[in-house]
Amino acid sequence: MKATASERAADLLTATFAALADPTRRAILTRLSAGGATVNQLAEPFALTQQAISKHIKVLERAGLVSRSRAAQARPCRLEPARLEAAADWIDRHRQLWQERYNRLDEHLAELRAGGAGERPEGTAS
Amino acid sequence: MTQPGEFTYRRVHRASRELLFDCLTQPEHLTRFWGPDGTTTPVEGITVDLRPGGVFETVMVNVADGSSYRMREVYREVRRPDLLVWTEPDVEGGMTTTITLTELGDGQTEVITHQTNVPPMMARPEARRGFETSLRRFADYTDRLTAS
Repeated sequence: MKATASERAADLLTATFAALADPTRRAILTRLSAGGATVNQLAEPFALTQQAISKHIKVLERAGLVSRSRAAQARPCRLEPARLEAAADWIDRHRQLWQERYNRLDEHLAELRAGGAGERPEGTAS
Repeated sequence: MTQPGEFTYRRVHRASRELLFDCLTQPEHLTRFWGPDGTTTPVEGITVDLRPGGVFETVMVNVADGSSYRMREVYREVRRPDLLVWTEPDVEGGMTTTITLTELGDGQTEVITHQTNVPPMMARPEARRGFETSLRRFADYTDRLTAS
């Protein structure tokens, strides 16, 4: 069965989240946010082999967070910020929904404590 | 640890588990807060059939333009006062929401909202923000995940 567009979008988002759920990979992204770098340069600050760093970069590439130039032999890595922003936006919006909901619940609980339950007709607070 | 793509939100409220459970499952309470901001949730549009397989339905009305949005969920587990699980069968793959209530003492209750298979419709990057900001927000998010 072929995946629908929204299934593909969900898969991409899942890949992005999986790639971001590792502190070394987040550190690599932070380094790349300052500018492109080769695998050698990226490996420097870490107590990791170049192969280990390469593996992390492959995960980031598959998640669309990093791209690698084919022009130069060292194949420098570059940050692709769009996917990260998509993931961060998703988190923000979804968290905001629950935050607002539970904020209103707190207001409702305060009203119940004050004994004003069921008195006021409004259904929302903003 | 929460798996990638899942969502966890933790809050502490000043109320008993029983009261919080009732707030989450009784129309006269739900109408006061179910929201989102900028909407009302009229009590006559709320259906709660509080048993596994029972329907949980809400209609949210946009205050600005009067448009409405109906959400239809089916309860999977109902265990007053500590556990509530429902799925949203209309969402591809069936989004599942699990709400766990834990007493902390001093009249405080921890409410953990955990969702799996949340659709990424909201993922569109309309707003272009700085990369560092995005990464910081993500770090905050994962910190919160590991903390919970």
